[in-house]
Amino acid sequence: MGIAHSIQSIQFLSDFSESVLAYPIVLSTHLTCIPLFGGMILATDLRLLGLSLKSLTITEVVTSLRPWKRLGGGIMISMGLLLATSKAEEYAPNPFFWTKMIILGLIGVHALIFRPIVYNKTEEMDQSPVLPTKAKVAAILSLVLWTTMFVMGRLIAYWD
Amino acid sequence: MLLQNAIADTLNNPEWTFALAECVHIGGFAVSIGSIALVDFRMLNLGLRKETAARILRYTEPWTLIALVFVVFSGLMLFLAQPDIYLQPTPYLVNGRFMFLLKMSLLVAALLYNFTVHRKVAKMDNPPPALSKLVAIVSLLLWVSVVFGGIFIGFLQ
Repeated sequence: MGIAHSIQSIQFLSDFSESVLAYPIVLSTHLTCIPLFGGMILATDLRLLGLSLKSLTITEVVTSLRPWKRLGGGIMISMGLLLATSKAEEYAPNPFFWTKMIILGLIGVHALIFRPIVYNKTEEMDQSPVLPTKAKVAAILSLVLWTTMFVMGRLIAYWD
Repeated sequence: MLLQNAIADTLNNPEWTFALAECVHIGGFAVSIGSIALVDFRMLNLGLRKETAARILRYTEPWTLIALVFVVFSGLMLFLAQPDIYLQPTPYLVNGRFMFLLKMSLLVAALLYNFTVHRKVAKMDNPPPALSKLVAIVSLLLWVSVVFGGIFIGFLQ
């Protein structure tokens, strides 16, 4: 626990975790990102599955929401980093936290696999009469990964 | 090994029902607020611009309604599990009870606003851009404040 202790003992982080206002504000911001940017992920996935927003092209849904999802991801990760490092000693032995980090890694793998074949090929998909299976697989995996992500986030509080 | 045991422990603990209700609550607000935010986002001209806000609303409204049912029922379960922590008075004015009542007032305001003003303006054929934007910003602020209120309840007990 040496490293975890040293991390959370950094003055800035210990001030943060003890602060009455800053800690809940950052936590609330982290959670607010779930609806604001998670809604965009859901919209993209449902469009890829052909279940909603059908009058919009896949290209429009993917490209117009992409910069906002990136911004949201950035806010979410930086807030999350602050929350986790300021309580490093609690988080380090917590299996739910590490499962969440593995899911985060898998979301990165998902992007690496599907960006070149789905998300960067939306114009081709818009022209094809049927939605390709790879798009549906990408969407379903995305929904599963993100759902597991927030469930693990919530369960972090249940491990002692 | 350690991982599976921890998950099994949680699932075997009667407390898991509370965790499940919390997850349903979070999933529910993610979808309900998220779907409203998509309309707001369109009204602010920030995305999905090739379709009207009215059309986006027509797509998202069923998600909003279904998810709201989940949020409200799971919220009721969470409340009934420990009503005392939400209602107990303390010597401090700004406490968990205060925040709970504030959150509920904001929720009622956000719901009323959503199904009246917000809906009406989103469905307008050619709303003045300034009106659309104002209505969307108020909507986002109301919903974000409900989420903040929920988190702060736990920090002000």
